[in-house]
Amino acid sequence: MRACLLSLLLIVAAPAFAETHDDHVAEAEGLRVVHVWTTATGKGSDALFYMEIENSSAAEAMLTGGEAGGQELELVGFSYGAAGEAWTVLPGLPVPAGAELDLEPKVLALRWSSVPMDLVPGAELEIEVEVGGQHLHAHVEIGEAGATGHSHAGHNH
Amino acid sequence: MAELWAALPNAAQDLLLALALVAPGLLAGALVLHGLRPLPLVGAMLRRFAFVNALFVALIAVSVGLGVGLLAQERGLRQGSARAAEKFDLIVAAPGSEVTVMLAAVYLQPSDMALVTGPQYAEIAGAEGVAFAAPIAFGDSFQGAPVVGTTADFVTHLAGPLAEGRVFATSEEAVAGAFAPVAVGGSFTPAHGHGPMAEGDAHEGYAYTVSGRMAPTGSPWDRALLVPVEGVWEVHGLANGHAPDDLRIGPPFVPDLMPGTPAVLVHAAELWGNYALKSRFTRGDLMAFFPGTVLSQLHGLMRDVRSAMSLMAVLTQVLVTLSVLIGLMILVRLIARSLALLRAIGAPLRFVFAVVWAYSAALILSGAGLGLALGWGAARAISAAVTARTDVLVTANLGWPEAHLVAGFISLTLFMALLPAWLAVRRPLLTDLRT
Repeated sequence: MRACLLSLLLIVAAPAFAETHDDHVAEAEGLRVVHVWTTATGKGSDALFYMEIENSSAAEAMLTGGEAGGQELELVGFSYGAAGEAWTVLPGLPVPAGAELDLEPKVLALRWSSVPMDLVPGAELEIEVEVGGQHLHAHVEIGEAGATGHSHAGHNH
Repeated sequence: MAELWAALPNAAQDLLLALALVAPGLLAGALVLHGLRPLPLVGAMLRRFAFVNALFVALIAVSVGLGVGLLAQERGLRQGSARAAEKFDLIVAAPGSEVTVMLAAVYLQPSDMALVTGPQYAEIAGAEGVAFAAPIAFGDSFQGAPVVGTTADFVTHLAGPLAEGRVFATSEEAVAGAFAPVAVGGSFTPAHGHGPMAEGDAHEGYAYTVSGRMAPTGSPWDRALLVPVEGVWEVHGLANGHAPDDLRIGPPFVPDLMPGTPAVLVHAAELWGNYALKSRFTRGDLMAFFPGTVLSQLHGLMRDVRSAMSLMAVLTQVLVTLSVLIGLMILVRLIARSLALLRAIGAPLRFVFAVVWAYSAALILSGAGLGLALGWGAARAISAAVTARTDVLVTANLGWPEAHLVAGFISLTLFMALLPAWLAVRRPLLTDLRT
């Protein structure tokens, strides 16, 4: 009986596990967007998306921004001075051929201004990342408000 | 509602928050005092017990001053350290601790560090989008002031046009920081190392002449002596980055003749370039980071300490006020006969209540006002001491967080002052008259 229950549990859990793992990667034409994540964000606030972008193609690819819920995602860079923290909109950022670009907290991010709903941990969210002329659809992991990284950061995909 | 709040400018949000915090206390006061004129009597009470009142006001002032001073000081320190790092866009160094490199390159707290090699420097300086890449080579000192090897581009980038003289033109010239211990035209021989163990005679026979002085930057670089990086290499008996027959200073350096540098400040031609360069030079043999990011993370850790400090400050103030109110209750017992007489000649209970509350409120408001001034003075004095010790210009001024603290304190304690007033009118009239 116990073995039957365990088997049933594994059968139910396996597709979910596979889906979660695949969701960490979006790729096309040698460009990969991996481990997209953000922190829990209240409606009306700005959400910042972090990710790893890999360019295994032979040409430089330009990261220009993205789209979420029909709204534009801006590429923003972090700065810190006497006036405090600031995020400045950047026109684009090249990802050289064979190189990787990390969008990470307090460095670089894609910003979704005034999110139309609460982003709560565990909720489903898809965004589009515009890099090298491609529109890569990526699944976003929403972490806790104080999260500092993707739950699978460091894993190879 | 949240969207409307978010749309307000920061100053408007702060003002509204301060008003919201102080409003309950003021509203209570307006209700208590409505239609009554207890102030002449309160004035008489303040004069009659002048010494005790002064003691109560001083107690409140010290507790408010402590809270206000701590908050203002912490913010001043944070802003001062951030301002000092503003000119350091991107630092590239050998892999290691970002904090260690930041402390060494930005705040001139030298450490033993691996070097960026000549070929690595050439790659950084030649990368697309780099406006200039300045070596930052530290290790020597003069009379406690750090002697740092760098380039003329860095001097101009750090402090703008010189306050006096000109930038170094040979490897034996130097530019002094605004408060460095050598005047323009003066010479100095660097000691090898820093602090009491520095070897004063290690570089004997070699001297730099100061050709110019920088304007103040509010950073530890104000006490530094900046020399051409070639000078630092030559002083240590190393190749100077140029062919023997090449007498010029500054980049480009011959990679194989460049001894290496602990850190390189990279300034990109375009803002976005800094981010691209950081990504490019974050790799196995190099480490690239924004000092602003590291500092922000450190300040983020301090945020928890700041919250604890704020809570402790509020608790201290409330405890002090509580003890003052207990003192007032005892005082009310002492003046119970006078209050009973007041009631006996026809004063309504509400009037007696208003007199006692207004008396407490006068002490609280005087103490809070004096505390603000005391906190401001303490913060200024501590800032001056911190600036003198760290060379980071710390300016602590009162801001909205302090206003919110005091507004919340006033509101809470004005409410607490209702208690002695209530106890005063609950006293048995006949017993107090006979006392």
